[in-house]
Amino acid sequence: MRGFRSGFRLQLSFFRNYPDSLIPLLTAPLFTVVFTMVLRHGGRGDLSGYAMIAPFYMSLWWFAIFNGGWVIQTERWEGTIEYLVAAPVGFVSVIVGRISTMLLAGAVAFGEVWVFGRYVLRTNVTIHHPYVFTASLVLTLIAMTTTSLFMANLFVLSRTAVTFSNSASYPVYLLGGILVPIALLPGWLQPATNIVFLSWSSKLLRGSLSAGPIQGAAFDLSMIALLAVVALGLATAFMSRILRHARSSGELALR
Amino acid sequence: MSPRPQAVTVIDLVRTFQPRKQPAVQALDGVRLDVDEGEVHGLLGPNGAGKTTLVKILTTVLLPTSGRAEILGHDVVHDAKAVRPLIGIVFGGERGLYTRLTARQNLEYWASLYRLPGAQIKARAAALLERVGLAEKADVKVETFSRGMKQRLHLARGLVAGAKVLFLDEPTTGMDPIASREFRTLISEIRAEGATILLATHDMVEAEVLCDRVTLIDHGRILATESPRSLGRLVSRFQRVDVEGADRELLDRVAALPGVESIVESDDGHRINVDGDEHVPVVLKVIVEAGVVDVRTSRPSLEEVYVGLIGDRGLEV
Repeated sequence: MRGFRSGFRLQLSFFRNYPDSLIPLLTAPLFTVVFTMVLRHGGRGDLSGYAMIAPFYMSLWWFAIFNGGWVIQTERWEGTIEYLVAAPVGFVSVIVGRISTMLLAGAVAFGEVWVFGRYVLRTNVTIHHPYVFTASLVLTLIAMTTTSLFMANLFVLSRTAVTFSNSASYPVYLLGGILVPIALLPGWLQPATNIVFLSWSSKLLRGSLSAGPIQGAAFDLSMIALLAVVALGLATAFMSRILRHARSSGELALR
Repeated sequence: MSPRPQAVTVIDLVRTFQPRKQPAVQALDGVRLDVDEGEVHGLLGPNGAGKTTLVKILTTVLLPTSGRAEILGHDVVHDAKAVRPLIGIVFGGERGLYTRLTARQNLEYWASLYRLPGAQIKARAAALLERVGLAEKADVKVETFSRGMKQRLHLARGLVAGAKVLFLDEPTTGMDPIASREFRTLISEIRAEGATILLATHDMVEAEVLCDRVTLIDHGRILATESPRSLGRLVSRFQRVDVEGADRELLDRVAALPGVESIVESDDGHRINVDGDEHVPVVLKVIVEAGVVDVRTSRPSLEEVYVGLIGDRGLEV
């Protein structure tokens, strides 16, 4: 727990000292304006809630990739990873603590978009299913955190991590149903969306803004939780193996 | 008398690196080493000798290929969790700090990783920043620090948990001479507080001034372990008398004295090599009675020993 707390606090210090790491909080309102204006221009002001959810997901994904995903790799670049590995607290707990700030950053991003849409753009959005909405929001933040942890390991292993992190966003936006509802995607593409937790999440969040009943909410919530657990399991298993391999090969501090 | 307890024990340690598509590199080749508790032990060798590899294995950062190493009785591989709270680490170089955080933020973070109680962390960090002369820069971002200042912060980090065994790998790299001297004073103080220190360096002066014993290492093998003074005997068994202003007649008389092995010209005059300490007073007496006052005795410096045992290899590593 000590390592978790230390990592969490360290990442908060980074947020204070690296203002560029909070860029999504600047861009999210801009995206909200764009999406809201497009919908209003098309005469679909009733979908304005979607225009607030999409920028939230985009911010969350940005935090997941660039703050969470690069955590281990930046420890290597800074040359701090060897000190961290040799410290008494667990390496994994520090990394999990750092990445868990995603929960906070994501919640702030959501609150910002919501307040901006409501009070600046005068969007009138009603949450018809508050329990489903809250549960899916919380599970989404947790799942994004574990997914980010998983990516942090992949980025260490992959030599093309920079390319991946710069280009993966749009496929994820599509497969996660963030910009376009899954039902509107080509049929052959839809099965692939099942392994992206964002697809279950976006369906639920949108559904909770609609007046009608939500079909299969419990199943959808379970899928988000399951994919979060799978990502966490893979991440921790990978991390232990990566650490062992790096200590064995002497590549721990390689840039 | 019972032997002093061992702070560091290294037995037949081997470490081989296997770079991709290149031949294997033997960084450590059967290293055996003992460091007593409370000792300042120097690890001296050229670049690529295996010093850093040994330090990294002892600090649990790297795994050995074979052999065994213990810190205060705890195995560095199988009992690494017990080793880590006992050690402090200072790797040389500019990396290893969060450059956009302040010195104080860095130190407090590392203190928290050593499970210091929350109330102690701030006080400890402040005291250490004062001790290494960074108190005035405590709230300045590390990215603005000079190399020497970063080195001092590294040292403060190494001391943050009150380590029983402190590993210093090239700790004065980048420090100016005055900062290096202050650093040595600091190390002496830490030693007086009871810590064991393993100092990897190729700074001869540093090793000679600070270390109780020095281990010379090259190509992953230990060449010798002795006190800096005793090491001189490995390259010269002679006591040396350096004299300036002696004329030929005096030198001939000295050459005939018992124990005088040879007289050679040196940069400033002549060096008289005397075999056996008991003959030195007679040699000195003859020289002084002849009116020559510029005379001194010496043993080989650590640098001479180093070059003698490891060889002058220029820029080769």
